[in-house]
Amino acid sequence: MNPQILSDLKQFHPEIILTASVLLVVIGDIALVRIRRTLTFILAAAGLIAALIAGIRLFGQDPGTLFFGVLSLDPMSVFFKTFLILTSLFILFSVPGSKELSRRNLGEFYALLLGVTLAMVLLAASADMLMLYLALETVSIGSYILVGYLRNERQSNEASLKYLLFGAIATGTMLYGMTVIYGLTGTTKLAAIREAFLQGAAAGNNSAMLLIATVMVLAGFGFKMAAVPFHFWCPDVYTGAPTPVTAFLSIGPKAAGFAVLMRFFFTGFSGSAPGTGMYSGVSPVYWNAILILISVVTMTLGNIAALRQENMKRMLAYSSIAHAGYILMGAVVLNSQGLQSVLVYLVTYLFMNLGAFLVVIAVYNHTGSFDLNDYRGLMRRSPFLTVAMSFFMLSLMGIPPFAGFLGKLYVFGAAVNNNLAWLAVVGALNSVVAIYYYARVIKAMVIEESSDTTRVPLSLASQILLWLMLLPTAGLMFFWSGVERLTKASVALFMGL
Amino acid sequence: MDKNLLGQIVFYFFAALTIGSAAVVVFARSLVRSAFALLFTFFGVAALYAYLGADFLAATQMVIYVGGILVLILFGVMLTHKLYDLNIKTGSVQLIPSTIAVVAVFAFLAFFMLRTEWFRGDSVLSGPTTASIGNLLMQDFILPFEAASVLLLLALIGAAMIVRRRSE
Amino acid sequence: MIGLSHYLIVSAALFSFGILCVLTRKNAINVLMGIELILNAANLNLVAFSKYSSGKIDGQIFAIFIIVVAAAEAAVALAIILSMYRILRSVNLDRADTLKG
Repeated sequence: MNPQILSDLKQFHPEIILTASVLLVVIGDIALVRIRRTLTFILAAAGLIAALIAGIRLFGQDPGTLFFGVLSLDPMSVFFKTFLILTSLFILFSVPGSKELSRRNLGEFYALLLGVTLAMVLLAASADMLMLYLALETVSIGSYILVGYLRNERQSNEASLKYLLFGAIATGTMLYGMTVIYGLTGTTKLAAIREAFLQGAAAGNNSAMLLIATVMVLAGFGFKMAAVPFHFWCPDVYTGAPTPVTAFLSIGPKAAGFAVLMRFFFTGFSGSAPGTGMYSGVSPVYWNAILILISVVTMTLGNIAALRQENMKRMLAYSSIAHAGYILMGAVVLNSQGLQSVLVYLVTYLFMNLGAFLVVIAVYNHTGSFDLNDYRGLMRRSPFLTVAMSFFMLSLMGIPPFAGFLGKLYVFGAAVNNNLAWLAVVGALNSVVAIYYYARVIKAMVIEESSDTTRVPLSLASQILLWLMLLPTAGLMFFWSGVERLTKASVALFMGL
Repeated sequence: MDKNLLGQIVFYFFAALTIGSAAVVVFARSLVRSAFALLFTFFGVAALYAYLGADFLAATQMVIYVGGILVLILFGVMLTHKLYDLNIKTGSVQLIPSTIAVVAVFAFLAFFMLRTEWFRGDSVLSGPTTASIGNLLMQDFILPFEAASVLLLLALIGAAMIVRRRSE
Repeated sequence: MIGLSHYLIVSAALFSFGILCVLTRKNAINVLMGIELILNAANLNLVAFSKYSSGKIDGQIFAIFIIVVAAAEAAVALAIILSMYRILRSVNLDRADTLKG
């Protein structure tokens, strides 16, 4: 075997562990039928924890590329590696506590979750359009199946079919755009694409073709991030999918979408002098202007549509669309401050959004519904859930001192510091609109009365998981310097071949 | 000279076959007819690959698209048709406005594609491609090659899980 | 002489037909066929660019991976359609409407 492959494998431990645990879960599910329920869960959890540790150990590695320039290894990719694996770990622990899923045999579910995690990790690091497309499709195909996991239920199936058809169209369009870029530059490697642009591959008449290709590529990324106008699937899929899968989709693939968006445009379409943290476009296409437009439309439409939702999952779906808009504000600023703000926002978003979904799962387990009306009088029925949900809602609003405020502070700050004050104003106005629908949940829980006064039970495992979300949501502001240091160290992208 | 002309005729034949059958796929009233038209599109594209000197890809296209995906689609058509003996409606929505829009898209795309000066590299592809594809898959593209196996595993697990009869 | 632009026109036509199919057809299997047309258009682009533009074989390798993905996607799609058919007894997208947008 080629010696370079062997040496690259040493920096590939998280992915190897994930692959091995996919196989172990599949084998364990088939071979040891009697104990498979616990066995597959333990195997999946052990795999994710081991991969997480292996990922953390990669912090501080010398930046470079792996496997002949197909994958990049840099602080940014290591950050997303650990972030995405951690997300999947939380989701994994939320699965047994969800009545929608817990009655079934979940061996396949765990295998798919691990496989999608592996693909997300590869997606966030891919430095070659071929790898990018393959990883993106693996994430998508795995997610289609996860959404349709309740195969005897009509809604789950319907959501899965919609997701699949919409996803296939979006990624097909993205692919066509990528082939055009290949024709313009003669390469699929992002760094080589940048070099080709520097030599005028898209100058003159070619710029129109590149613009078309860029818009097409954005269809695929926008689909993953659930950004307008590629968001149509989002509310239906989020409603129809099993709730842990909904929570997963709203964080994991979305974050991976942002990771690939930043890598694609910052290493493929922009250049940077080493160490400055400043980037400048090298192609004639103003891709960040397109992204600014998408950002404004995404947050506005997401928030407005969320105002009139009566179903919690739908409301959180539109809320997650709006948050994609906020996060995009950080990605349009061409420097490391913008990149850092995206990372900070994603960290805060992980805890508050997952926490909100955990409460939704707990309430569904008891009432069997996602209706906002069933949250009435929750204060009496479960004070802990009420307080937790209120914290998550306040954090999603961006009220200090909750974590969400920190994310908004960074994103708006990045916009203001880079002559995009008007964008920050749009974002702030949107946040004001968003207060209404988040506060409605708190109002239903605390002020409104319900005839149902039975207590909402909560298992110990769910309580622990909720605390794990609650503490960072409430306390991340007080560890602000740690977050600042971690994300600041993680913004560097490897620009070489 | 003669050979050149013959080559052109062959190209135009296959190009027309590809585009014509693609049109049938879109406009055919019955699903079965669309599926069979798709066969000719795939076949035409395979011929164009061969014409471009991509021998391995032409064979792959025949085996996987015609032999695999199309058979799968036909199975889908037949199974969903026969199981419940329902008329599969293939009514179109807003055919005329979308046709106009798509013709515009095509004109737009073709116009810019013809105006663009595409990249021109120094190297030239010639001869059979199979050996070099195999080498590259084990060298430069080893990671995508392995990642594709994970993709296929996931698709296999998922497809089997979804169509399995209710047992729990 | 047949050159790059001829192939690009064929591919643009295939892509447009694919989009048209996706837009106008309600039947899920038909939409799937439209998606296959789009993927074939992209593949044709790649192979043509591989010969006329980059002169390297990486475009063809990209195309092979796209075929692999298309096969996996079609398998999963038809599995979901079959499962859905059991529930709905029709594969028309219009009938898939318990989730209102």
